[in-house]
Amino acid sequence: MEGQGYIAEPQIATAVYLAREMKKPLLIEGDAGVGKTEVAKVLARILETELIRLQCYEGLDVATALYEWDYPRQMLRVRMAGDHADPAGLEHVIFSRDYLLERPLLKSITRPERAPVLLVDEIDRADDGFEAFLLELLSDFQVSIPELGTIRAQHVPYVILTSNRSREIGDALRRRCLYLYIDHPSVAKEIRIIRSRVPESGARLASQIARFVQALRTRRLAKSPGVAETIDWAQALVRLHQDELDPAIVEETLGCVLKDRQDLRDVKGEELSALVQASAG
Amino acid sequence: MRSLVDHLAVFAAELRARGVPVTLWDESDAAEALTLVDVAEREEVRRTLRIALKIRPRHAGIFDAFFDALWSVRAGPAAISEAARQRAVPHAAPRLAAFPAAGAGTGQSVERETPQGDTPAWSPEALLRRKPFDACTAEDLAAMERILARLAEKLATRPSRRLVPSRSRGAVDPRRSFRAALATQGELLRLARRARAIEEPRIVALCDTSGSMDTHTRFLLGFLMALKSVARRTEIFVFNTALTRLTPWIRKDRMARSLERMAAAVPDWSGGTRIGECLEAFAEGYLDAMVDSRTVVLIVSDGLDRGDTAALVRAMRALSSRARRVLWLNPLLSDPRYEPTARGMAAALPYVDRLLAAHNIETLERLLPLLAA
Repeated sequence: MEGQGYIAEPQIATAVYLAREMKKPLLIEGDAGVGKTEVAKVLARILETELIRLQCYEGLDVATALYEWDYPRQMLRVRMAGDHADPAGLEHVIFSRDYLLERPLLKSITRPERAPVLLVDEIDRADDGFEAFLLELLSDFQVSIPELGTIRAQHVPYVILTSNRSREIGDALRRRCLYLYIDHPSVAKEIRIIRSRVPESGARLASQIARFVQALRTRRLAKSPGVAETIDWAQALVRLHQDELDPAIVEETLGCVLKDRQDLRDVKGEELSALVQASAG
Repeated sequence: MRSLVDHLAVFAAELRARGVPVTLWDESDAAEALTLVDVAEREEVRRTLRIALKIRPRHAGIFDAFFDALWSVRAGPAAISEAARQRAVPHAAPRLAAFPAAGAGTGQSVERETPQGDTPAWSPEALLRRKPFDACTAEDLAAMERILARLAEKLATRPSRRLVPSRSRGAVDPRRSFRAALATQGELLRLARRARAIEEPRIVALCDTSGSMDTHTRFLLGFLMALKSVARRTEIFVFNTALTRLTPWIRKDRMARSLERMAAAVPDWSGGTRIGECLEAFAEGYLDAMVDSRTVVLIVSDGLDRGDTAALVRAMRALSSRARRVLWLNPLLSDPRYEPTARGMAAALPYVDRLLAAHNIETLERLLPLLAA
């Protein structure tokens, strides 16, 4: 995975390996910004296959997630046929695959060449009903379309589900999956991530950034900074031609890392200088 | 392979006995996963089991401690039952030792243990201070029921973002409209519509059961349980010096029985209060899973706190930033001269959307419109 610019801990590598070998979906939980979605992207690159992404949100329905008929085209076809067309034949035509709009879930099982990676992102945002539907799809990898019949998976996709735990995932779905919890990275790992993603940052700056962010995470914050924030910050500092942290510049750019007004107010002045000093050591 | 499966069963049973939810499905996943990795490699086995048994972060400590106790560095999986037999003595972490032992011999415990779900943990000392807690009086219950009928109507009023077919309300649903039109050769005779579904409210209630609240708790808990029977997604917690989740103890049909069981489950009934620590325990353990932007949080307490107000402020800040609304019910408000100056109450006030009285049914009725999400 490292060849793809993703610094994987053994835990993550093992999980991806098992999910691939056991052909089971992998449920990934963890705070925002720890790189859950990234796992799917990297997996797709490694397998050299397509990544199909379904972003969940409240109110997500089958028409958006699975399939939809192309009504305007169907309607046009019906009108063109005129009054004397054979109704049975016409129905056969307009309810064929040509008039079917594939949405991510259906797309993931109809790829002819090879199994794609299906990323069901932020499953916790969808409602219970959708979760139950997904469960059914994940157990058989087939879809019944009343007008067309059953479509079976050509290749069973690699499925990755992510959750920020804004809602507890149902036990049934959890059972069906393998489970991985991604924690914030260790200092050493975070330094490697910064250097790999922002190569312009020097060793000194990368290590100071990593230590500073790690120290922040040990504090009680409303929004703990994720790796994504760390990378943003490193990029910002590189743009500003910084090669080490100093209190003034940190105070100016802290908004890259802390995204809560209260947190920004809590970390400033003396405390901030102390943190900068500690991470310089 | 046979023996590996047996050892796995022992391990899973021991985890269950410690409150980690591990199902048979998880076990069979684990058995399959172990065939794919190097079982002589201890860390590899640990990682594999963590993934296949679906160990959540909150159980990671128990899992690791027990795994270490069983899999000493040199021992392969074959030593697992041996280690299990010895576990009571040396390297099991102190935290495990505090739990009542599941059974002396391993074989025994496998037979006896069944999945326990979320059994609230309690300490034996707390039992000494437990107080009998029986059902509400008949009149109370009858009054509750009258409220319930109204409650049901008033609560279920929030439209969801999900769209469901509807007769005349809402926007045109192209899928169903065109589908119907195809039957009439593409002539759109009637438009199908869809509208927002009506959604059940989500409520999390945190009820103070300390000594100073004593005269009110029975009644208020009865109310919360009534609420639960209308709004099924209600979660109920009680706290005094420690936090206990009551939801799994509530059976809808048997209120009196539930109250008895609850009394047995709650430590330190009618003792002192540490509101801050308890709310913080809630924020850390349950906030993510139970409170979202649709959830109304209901705190029932007089705000007379002996604990740390800094913890209270942190917890209240976390709650109010996540919940749709934070309501605080304070029985002391029935006294017109009351001012919310008690330390805890004053500290929490900036984060509370509404501070309400809660000493009789009438005041509780006023609460209802605020609960509708």
